[in-house]
Amino acid sequence: MKNFVKTALASALLVSFAGCTGVVDANVPLKHDSEYVIDGKIYGMPKAKIYRDEYNGPAVVGDYVTMVPHLAELDYEGNKEHEVRMDVFSQNVEVAPGVSYNAWTFGGSVPGPVLHVREGDRVVFKMKNRSTEEVVITKPFKGAAPYYNQVAANQLQKHNPVVAPMPHSMDFHSGTVAANDKWATIAPGETIEFEWIANYAGTYMYHCGTSSVLMHTAMGQYGAVVVSPKEGYPTDDQVDQEYVIVQSELYLEQMGDSYIYDHSAALARDPSHVVFNGHVSSLSENPLKANEGDRVRIHFLNAGPSGTSSFHVIGAIFDMVWAEGDPRNTWYGMQTVLLGASSSATVEFIVPEEGVYKLVDHEFADAERGAAGALYAGPRKK
Amino acid sequence: MTKWLSVFGFIALAASAEPVLVTGGEYTPAILLDESVQTLVMADFKLDATPVTYAQYLEFVKANPKWQRANAAAIFHDGNYLISWPGNTEIPEGYAKRAVTEVSWFAARAYCNAQGGRLPTLDEWEYASSQYLQQQQMSDQDYAQMLFGRHSNPTAYSQQPLDVNSKELAHMHNRVNEWVEDFQLMLTSGDNNDILSSSCGDSARFMADFGDASYATFFRYQSRSNYRAQSTTSTLGFRCAYDME
Repeated sequence: MKNFVKTALASALLVSFAGCTGVVDANVPLKHDSEYVIDGKIYGMPKAKIYRDEYNGPAVVGDYVTMVPHLAELDYEGNKEHEVRMDVFSQNVEVAPGVSYNAWTFGGSVPGPVLHVREGDRVVFKMKNRSTEEVVITKPFKGAAPYYNQVAANQLQKHNPVVAPMPHSMDFHSGTVAANDKWATIAPGETIEFEWIANYAGTYMYHCGTSSVLMHTAMGQYGAVVVSPKEGYPTDDQVDQEYVIVQSELYLEQMGDSYIYDHSAALARDPSHVVFNGHVSSLSENPLKANEGDRVRIHFLNAGPSGTSSFHVIGAIFDMVWAEGDPRNTWYGMQTVLLGASSSATVEFIVPEEGVYKLVDHEFADAERGAAGALYAGPRKK
Repeated sequence: MTKWLSVFGFIALAASAEPVLVTGGEYTPAILLDESVQTLVMADFKLDATPVTYAQYLEFVKANPKWQRANAAAIFHDGNYLISWPGNTEIPEGYAKRAVTEVSWFAARAYCNAQGGRLPTLDEWEYASSQYLQQQQMSDQDYAQMLFGRHSNPTAYSQQPLDVNSKELAHMHNRVNEWVEDFQLMLTSGDNNDILSSSCGDSARFMADFGDASYATFFRYQSRSNYRAQSTTSTLGFRCAYDME
């Protein structure tokens, strides 16, 4: 592919002439002949490639790919091209004490890995359907994303590889592309490769888009992409802690000694469990940490697949809320943030005192089924 | 429509069930592939009582060396054809009575042709399944739970031995997913691609009713249509159909 470099400066200037101020230049070079720019955003990605290869390297690759609740620091200026891999395969995971099931996963955990990029970054994404293999994610792997070491250090889900062949796909809500091309379903053994530009800041869901989407997502195939704003949030220099929480429902029923997916319950929106970060105990076994007086930022995604979330921190008020994580959508002084399925918010609050702060879905039928956690605040340090 | 299956067939293969007669009749599929056709009229046909076993497939590759693992043309499989076999004419220990897997659609077709049969059509397979479920008097809920249970742990199901002497249809839902001739008929990767289904969750337009059983059946259609003809997995097998003479 010819390296076709030009910036979108001309386009941005034209827009400025038209009277729109504040349009940011897209500094990521155009890479393919098919690409074009509108309002500083790049569109027209080349066709996805689907192929078979012998890849058996790390299942999750990318310097800015982590396990929830961690978010990688963007230690670079401006924009960047990211090489990201999240293979799809099955894994037995525990979601509540004594309750485990064979999940369909991106990268082996539920939810899948967190990808952090900056608005305007380019993502070159690869995913191999390895559902016919036993893929181990609990051991360090050279070349793997930071996610691997974080999983190895946090074995709450008790990851165990299982073989469950199934066609799958990847749908990034953070990408603006033709879904029938980029989000295509691949059979076991196949790899799909495509690119997208993080054109919009925000916290976005990704999920499997293969029918039944209800079943594929309920089986565990979702996660978060955090696209930090190019110009940052106004409070960037005041934030002390930054975390990611993904809420989701599980629809499981007992069958013999194990648990299986219950489609009737999923259709009835009657979850067996509602969880933060994939386990009823995720944020109580490993509570978020902060200190009195800290400004805490949480990128909160409600992955659904079908329920809403009313996120609340007991004892705190959301000083700032950016709906969907876009800094143009600012709300102030909110007690609770209501999120539909696949909606997100970036929230900030001041930790008022040393102590324990419960995080809940204030729809208490959900909290009772697991959507609760904690933030432990130590003494004031400033 | 309970004119029921009668035992049929003269070919007694080693350790294998004989094909059974599936008596034709009217049939209302759970999934409507053509909105103008609610009811299908099925002709009589014969269908293997069980999925093809490893022992049977071993006989086939012995007689047809071009379908042995090392010889099968690369365009006919995804690279994992019979990958678990220790040798070209040697099956894994203890597998003789299991449903053969790691076979592509091309290989399954070749096998059935060699038996004087063919892969069943999607309608034939589903019609036989509907008769099977009636005969088993299985509740919709139990059927749905069995199917979703298998999807949740397909390896455990595929490794169970088959009742190879069955005189009736057996193991239609509790062993392996099965190839059919027109598996890509609709929905996603087929020629008759439905515009909303390739990356979307809707199913209502295809369903005759919204019961547990229909959703379980629909998921079989959906997942089956996303394989390629070259696909081989450890949970995908087949059985053969035969025209009436």
